[in-house]
Amino acid sequence: MSDKKKQADKEAMKILRQQRKQSIDRVRGAIKSQNKDIKSIKDALKDGGKTVPEITAATKMPSSRVMVFVATLKKYGMVAEGPKDGDYFKYELIDA
Amino acid sequence: MSRELHFDTLVVGGGIAGLQTALDLADQNYQVAVIEKDATIGGKMIRLSKVFPTLDCASCITTPKMAASAHHENITLFTYCNLKSLDRDSPESVTATVTQKPRYVDPDKCIGCRQCEYGCPVYVPDEEQGNFNLRKAVHIPFSNAIPQIAVLDMENCSLCGKCARVCPTDAIDYFEQPEDFIIHAKTAVLATGFELTPIDQKPEYNGGKVQNLITSMEMERLLAPHGPYMRVIRPSDGKEPDSIAYVQCAGSRDKTLNVPYCSRVCCMYAIKQAMLLSGALPLADITIYYMDIRAFGKGYEQFYQNAKAMGIEFVKGKIAKIEQADNQYVSLRYEAQEDGGRVVEREHDLVVLSLGMVPGWTPQGVCQVSCDTDRFIKSSMPQIAPTVTDMEGVFVAGVAAGPKDIVDTIAEAGAAAMEASKYMTALGKQKAA
Repeated sequence: MSDKKKQADKEAMKILRQQRKQSIDRVRGAIKSQNKDIKSIKDALKDGGKTVPEITAATKMPSSRVMVFVATLKKYGMVAEGPKDGDYFKYELIDA
Repeated sequence: MSRELHFDTLVVGGGIAGLQTALDLADQNYQVAVIEKDATIGGKMIRLSKVFPTLDCASCITTPKMAASAHHENITLFTYCNLKSLDRDSPESVTATVTQKPRYVDPDKCIGCRQCEYGCPVYVPDEEQGNFNLRKAVHIPFSNAIPQIAVLDMENCSLCGKCARVCPTDAIDYFEQPEDFIIHAKTAVLATGFELTPIDQKPEYNGGKVQNLITSMEMERLLAPHGPYMRVIRPSDGKEPDSIAYVQCAGSRDKTLNVPYCSRVCCMYAIKQAMLLSGALPLADITIYYMDIRAFGKGYEQFYQNAKAMGIEFVKGKIAKIEQADNQYVSLRYEAQEDGGRVVEREHDLVVLSLGMVPGWTPQGVCQVSCDTDRFIKSSMPQIAPTVTDMEGVFVAGVAAGPKDIVDTIAEAGAAAMEASKYMTALGKQKAA
């Protein structure tokens, strides 16, 4: 890609970001809060597998939100389902 | 100037009805265009776990038809498109204006590698999985989606540029705009499917805002092999449920919802799901609360009897109230009609609302085809030619014409293809004369 084209693309992206500033700010806020929640869940799992109620107790997050993130981390290969503990499954960090 | 394309038939809707119609016409050497509003074809059926009464895997039936349509030399698929208008200009021609929604991903460059999805930092509720887990802002809708092309959800994009940087084929295009194009065809088939009645309309059911109260489509995802948890657990806390209940007629046969008709499939899909749950959770109690069971198709009554023999409990009584109970249980209140009419309250781990069917699309403002009092597309000869509408050369297939199961949908799709073929043959004969 020529330097001229690169510069033009950069300028166009700058304008697009200005036009979409409001939604970008909203999304950035969401990313921050998601990253915080994911970190809390990963921290809670560092010392071994836990069930969703146990993660909920450790993170103080609502259990339904913990469930959503655990399912997502499982989908993207960061968490695995472990053995059953009573009526609940334990979840473990994959790189732990 | 919009680009103009010519086909023999335009099929509106890429669900099982639309794909069957397209395949039946394409196999007769007609050139067919299929337009689909979603980023993938397959409709509701590809999102199901299994089908009744055979318990065959829904994906195993739908995927070959999706692939056959995608690879057929006489079929052109237009996904992620909206139909703006459909008019008949003359007996030989209908003209459709179609809007291609921006994917922000070049379909000719995307190789479906998902590098963009893995690189994207934004998590968004995944509507394909009942919002039980999250997807990325740029994503491929699901693993067996066709085409395997990513779509960027611009509303949830931070324009950080990560997806563009990791894409090995430079397919990301943040500047894409909606684009209109014109399709000319001799006939059109409307196969626009259905949506479930909304969960939040009944105040007696707390507007659906009760933890562990889910819709029947959401249960399909919990039961599907590629589901959000890959097993059935409570969405609120991951508990394996001991007790699951179905509330029948939760969105049909209800004048307060303006859905006075029977949706015809809810009894059977509830029984199917109950049987699958019995297999997945052998120790769980499964109860179906019903007004009356309508098992009308071939093998359906036997299917119902099998479910009873498996130990699934059928309770005759319309649920009057649904509330949140302690420990995230769901409380149901009903009049036990076969037990002296006493009022009973029972709690369950997980409750499924068997919601009814409403039209997935309205022709109002788009084309001149009429709708019936139930808002589904009106058949002008329901007894002898149910796929014929009051718009010349425009036919209807599947649930677009009214609630029906998959078997009847496929049969009707074949009938719509035959009517379209007959119409085009007659046009050819007129020309020759």
